This record gives sequence, C-alpha cells and structure tokens, in this order.
Amino acid sequence: MIELQHNVNSPEEIARAAAVLRQAVFDTELSPNDVMKVFDAWAKGLSARELDDIPGIVFLRMWLRRGSLEPIIARELGANGLQGGWNEDGRAENKAFPLGVVGHWPAGNVEIQPLLSMTCALLGGNAALVRVPKALVDITRCLMSKLVQSDPEQVLTRRIFLAAFDHNRQDLQEAMAKAVDGAMIWGGEEAVLQIRALPFPHWARLAVFGPRISVSAMDAGAWGDPHEREAWCQRIARDVWQFDQQACSSPQVLFLERRAGQSTADFLPILHRAFEIENQAHPRLTIPAALTSAIYQARASWLLKDSAHKAIFPTGPDWTLLFGSGSDIPQATQGKTLTVLEVDNLCEPVLKFDGNVQTLGLGMADPEKERELTSLAGKRGVDRIVKLGRMHVFVPPWDGVDLIRPMVRMVRHVSSTD
Amino acid sequence: MQQLDEKIDRILSVAPYCQPPDERQAGLLELLKEELDYACQRHAGYRNYVQHWPVDYRSACHVTDLPFLPVGILKANPPLSFVGPDEVKKTLTSSATTSQSPSRVVLDAPTARRMTKGVVTIVRDFIGSSRRPYLVVDTPGFMGGNALGARGAAIQGLHPFASETTYCLNANDRGDLTLDQGKLLEFARNHGDTEVLVYGFTFILWKHLVEPLLEAGICLNLPKVRILHSGGWKRLQDQAVDKSVFNGQLARVFGCSPDCVIDFYGMVESVGVIYPDCPEGNKHGPAFGDVIVRNPLTLEPVAAGEYGIVQVCSVLPTSFPGNLLLTEDMAQVIAYDGCPCGRRGISFRFAGRIPKSEVRGCGNIESKRSVN
Repeated sequence: MIELQHNVNSPEEIARAAAVLRQAVFDTELSPNDVMKVFDAWAKGLSARELDDIPGIVFLRMWLRRGSLEPIIARELGANGLQGGWNEDGRAENKAFPLGVVGHWPAGNVEIQPLLSMTCALLGGNAALVRVPKALVDITRCLMSKLVQSDPEQVLTRRIFLAAFDHNRQDLQEAMAKAVDGAMIWGGEEAVLQIRALPFPHWARLAVFGPRISVSAMDAGAWGDPHEREAWCQRIARDVWQFDQQACSSPQVLFLERRAGQSTADFLPILHRAFEIENQAHPRLTIPAALTSAIYQARASWLLKDSAHKAIFPTGPDWTLLFGSGSDIPQATQGKTLTVLEVDNLCEPVLKFDGNVQTLGLGMADPEKERELTSLAGKRGVDRIVKLGRMHVFVPPWDGVDLIRPMVRMVRHVSSTD
Repeated sequence: MQQLDEKIDRILSVAPYCQPPDERQAGLLELLKEELDYACQRHAGYRNYVQHWPVDYRSACHVTDLPFLPVGILKANPPLSFVGPDEVKKTLTSSATTSQSPSRVVLDAPTARRMTKGVVTIVRDFIGSSRRPYLVVDTPGFMGGNALGARGAAIQGLHPFASETTYCLNANDRGDLTLDQGKLLEFARNHGDTEVLVYGFTFILWKHLVEPLLEAGICLNLPKVRILHSGGWKRLQDQAVDKSVFNGQLARVFGCSPDCVIDFYGMVESVGVIYPDCPEGNKHGPAFGDVIVRNPLTLEPVAAGEYGIVQVCSVLPTSFPGNLLLTEDMAQVIAYDGCPCGRRGISFRFAGRIPKSEVRGCGNIESKRSVN
C-alpha cells in the first residue's frame, strides 16, 4: 500500500513533493464528479467500526457523500461545475480551474481537519500538500489508509502529500509556503499569524479559518416550554460535546432570556441531566493535562468570584456547567465547560459581539425576535446563525466564506470567433 | 483558631518522614477538614466553591476527596486572603515569566512562623540540625521587605541553619549578576575544614558560580559542604546540562562528593513545604503535608509508576487557601511506601510543567513544550 504521509526533514523534500503534485495537476484535469466518485468509496471505507471513536468521523463520512457535496459544488462553482464544464455568462463563459498546489495548515486539535481541509482543495481539482500536526499523525495515517484502499487508480492519491514535521521547523514551514499556489489555514491566533507571515508566492491565495468562538442563546418561550426543553437541552449538550467543545462552532456560553414568573431553576436540572446522558454516551477517552488544569481553574474562578454564582460538575473534568447572570461573553475554557447566563434581553450580549463570534446557535419560540437577533448578529460579525443542535453542521459558507471556491480560479472566456 | 493552631503545631513536631502512610493520612484528613471549616467561615467565595464540590468534605474519608483549588487561582490580585489587611505580615510572590502573572500569597504571623518551622523540619532531616556558615549564591539586595519572591523565600527559609551568612554575587544597576570571587574565596579559605551550607537557584548557581570557577580552574576545597538548590531546569536543559552533569561539575568546583548536592522543589504557594531529593533521587511528602499525583482524565490518584498532575497538600497555611492545591506540574509516582532511603509514604519524581496549550476557538493546541 502506498504511503501518503511522510516524516519530512528537509526543505528539498517539500520542494520535490510540490513539483510532483503540480505536474499531476497539469497532467490530468479532474472534475468534481471524478473526485466525488472516489470520495463515495472512501466514505464507505470510513464506516469501519474501528474508526467510530475518532472525534468528527461521523461528519467526515457525511461530508464525503455525494448528497452533501453536490449542492455545495453547484452553488459555489455553478450549474455545470459538477462536470467541470463551462458556465455561460452572457456572451462569455466561465469555468473553475484549480489554483494548483494548495497547502493546508490544519489546527492540531480537530482530528479530521487535515482531511477536511484537503478535500476542499481536491474538489477544486487541486493537489494538496498537507502539514499534519504532531498530535494527529496516527489518526490521519489511519484515515488516509482507507482512501488509499478506495482509490486503486490513484486518481486522488497522486495529488496528495502529507508532511509530518514539528511546527517549530521554520525552514520546513517556509519551504511549504514557497511551494504552494494557495493555502487553507486553520488554527489559533498565534498559529494563524505565524503562518500568514510565511513567504508565500505573491499570487498565492490564502483562506483563513479561525480562531473564533461560538455562542448560544434561547428566548424565554423556548427554554420555558416544559414540552420542548428536554429536547433543547439534548441539542445543547450535543453541540457542546462535538470536538470536545474546541471547534470554532462550539458554544462556550448559553444566554437565557429572563422572564418574570419563569425560573431557570426548572431548566437547569434538565440541562444537567442532558450533560450526564451525553457524557455517558460519549465519554472522553483522553485529555491534555493543560485542559484539565484550565477546567478546574474555570470552576474555581467562577465560584470564588461571586458567592451568588452556581455550578454543577462531577469530580473529574468530564463537563462543567457554570450559572450566573450578565451579558458579557466569558473567556472560553473549552473541554465541555458551558457558562449559562441569564439576561433581560438577548440583544444585550449580541450588541457586545466584536467579530470573534463565528456561530450563534439559537433556540427561539418567537420568530420575530429571532429575525431581530439574526440581523443584529450579522451586523456584529457573526457568520452563521443556526438552530441549536446544528452548530457544527458542516454546510458552507463556513466562517462567512466558501470552501471550494477560494481555491479555484474562475477563468472567463470571451470567444474571439463570434 | 487557637485550638487549630495547637493542632498544627503538634503535627509539625512529629518526625517528618516516619509515620506509616495510613496513620499520616488519618491525621491530615482530620486537620484539613477543620481548616476547611475555618476557611469557609472566613471567605464567602471560598465557601461557595467548597459547597459546590461534588463530595461533601465533612463526610470525606480520604484526603484525595477534599476540595482542592488550582494553583492558578492564587494569581488573583488582590490576593485571596482569609485574614484582614492589618494581620498580613508578608506577601510572597512566585517567579513568573513576562507573559504570566505571579502568584501572591499573604502570610499572617502564625502562617509565617509555621512556614519557617516547616522548612526547618524538612531540611533538618536531610542535613542535620547544626548551624553552620551559610553561603548564598545570590545578592543581599534580593531580600525584600514585606514582599518576598521565591528566591528570597528560599534564602530566608534556610537562615535557621546559618551561624553566619555570606552573599557572593553582586548586581549592577541593570540587575546583571556577577560573582564576587574575592568574597567567595575568602569564605572558602575560612571554612575549608568545617561544615558549610550553600544555597542558590539552580540556574544562578550554574551560570554565576560553576561556569566562572570552571573557566578559571578554581576549586574551593569545601569537602564538608551541603549544597541545596531549587528552581527550574529548563534553561539548563536548553544548554544540555542534566542533573548528573550539574551535580558532577558543582562537586568539582566545591571539591566535594556529588552526593552533597541536594535539589529541592518548592513553590511559594505551598508555604513551608519543600521537597528535597532523597539519596534515591526521589521526593517525599512530610508529616504535615502530602502529595497526590492525579490522572488528568479522571483526577483519581495514579498507580505507582504512572504520571499525573501534582496536587500538594499542607496543613500549614491558615491565612490563604493553600492547603489543597492542584499544581501545574507533572510527576511520576515511584511508590506509595517503602523508598529504600527509609522515608515513609509516597515517593515521586517531578516530570516538568504541564505542557502549555493555546485554548481558543479552532485553536492549534499542539503542545508548545513537552514534559521533561
């Protein structure tokens, strides 16, 4: 079986790999349809039971399905985009061509991200040069082995090079940047700033995702509805559990609209129960010690700060609910630590958004209020406003930008023969 | 409070490493519960925290079940305190890098007294109780007034073993340290055949004493020296200096055996408790404190041989919440009893700081530092 992941030690290895990848793009034109055929087979390979425990695997399987990708491609690349054909545009015609070699710098904390990022470039007909973070080397190798099995003709695998190297190797980072025509960069502020400062060619296009946080909110009609609140709580718990609450789309805080005559004291035990159930179904298998430390710090800070503050948590770091009131967005702790804050008006926290909030997850009974919040949130930099329980549903535009389109060039042809 | 004070004094008077683990645990548990009662009366926020702990401390059967605080909480400013401003005798601050805030702990008179007694009790077990000439590899200017840093606290903690004290470093206006070789050689000449005590921060000892003396080819000829040092190893590791190299070169410049060098771990947040290496290279908890090494996933104590996050326990402080602290350090448990050195209870070895993470959004939280 061919090995797509390599421990890279020199800039020359990266330059050589990029040259081979670029040649592959020149040699064969791939339509999204060609790519999706392999993806379909790969998705089937990924349904193997032994992969079930990989966080995000369900999303990766779903994402790779034709049913998920076709509408995205049609929307981003046009009606003929699926076949890789030309789209008429008045007297001209347009067609998506790949940028060439796209470099991927995924975050180190989302297991499927190296592959998710890579698929976006491949759908545009590009080749993918992926830096695999140290923590994800084994998982990525395991997932890629299924692609190798699903692609015997090497339609895609000849366009992929996964480079594993330490993130401190500035020479390798620079070599990778110099070798690409586009880049998809995911990560924390420090990582993003460092990668953006690398010596990319002047024509390279960069798409940056993160670092951002997400927020959830419910109006009193929703959380106060005795028939619905259990379902709402399950949705919240699901959104918190995915990716161990470390994705940009993970809710870090839940704002509850206060209403006279209604007490959150009835709602919080149900949320508590939903967290317990979710934890039983999806217990954490490992945790970085630093995250454990951060979780205990968050619990202690919260309760010591104000004796009116409440909290519920088990003895271990499994999950944490912090209760209080106020419209300020608390600092994100992650690790299934949700701060629940009562506010008089849900517009109060939204007015404080500063562009750092990616997704607003809503549970609303009042559609007019939802419309008002949506407009307000859009103005304040929020890119996705979705129903609670769907905060991680991976439908572009993501972070306010398309996923495939940024890594293709729309070539316009105006015929000279007319 | 007086009753509590007497109980702490009683436990402080016990030989620090002789009690069987079960007996020690029972004594600590009882006293720590009383201290929790006291602390809850003194601080509403702390009471709120303790009340939310999943296990009611009053019915806890093990020290491991008691509510602990993460050490980072002591970075609060103003510091968390169980005493009024008029009762504060000293404020200790931890060393911190420019990007970090230091911890601040307030000591009232009883806690300060116990801090001294705790350190003396532990150090006595390793070097004996006699007073001897004390060479401090630092500057006298480092000893502050009411505000004391980690270096100052360590220097001061060993004063009860000093018959006279000599500081052998100078600092210029910018704070750069240089060795006062004349003063050092005079100290060596005067005390060549007597027991002497030396203390310095690990990196300072190396950079400002060992390196210059090695370069100058000087041996101090102090065969009866005991050299205590504390502080991080990171900068030395960056220079590829490990413990055996450090001890060997230190022994070379002092003209003593490498066994005379004792590395101890201490943190200002756990006042009065330090953890010197025993001859087996292990660390031990004293009678008035304990160490729990917890699995990061479950927070349960790890089995012997395993690594985890260090929690320090101490009955000494009553002026701030320093009794039960989850540190930001990792350690390996060597055994829960039976260290060949003869000290009872847990033996463990530190394994460096918890690797740092950037915790944010879709943040890249790859480890920036690995466990040593």
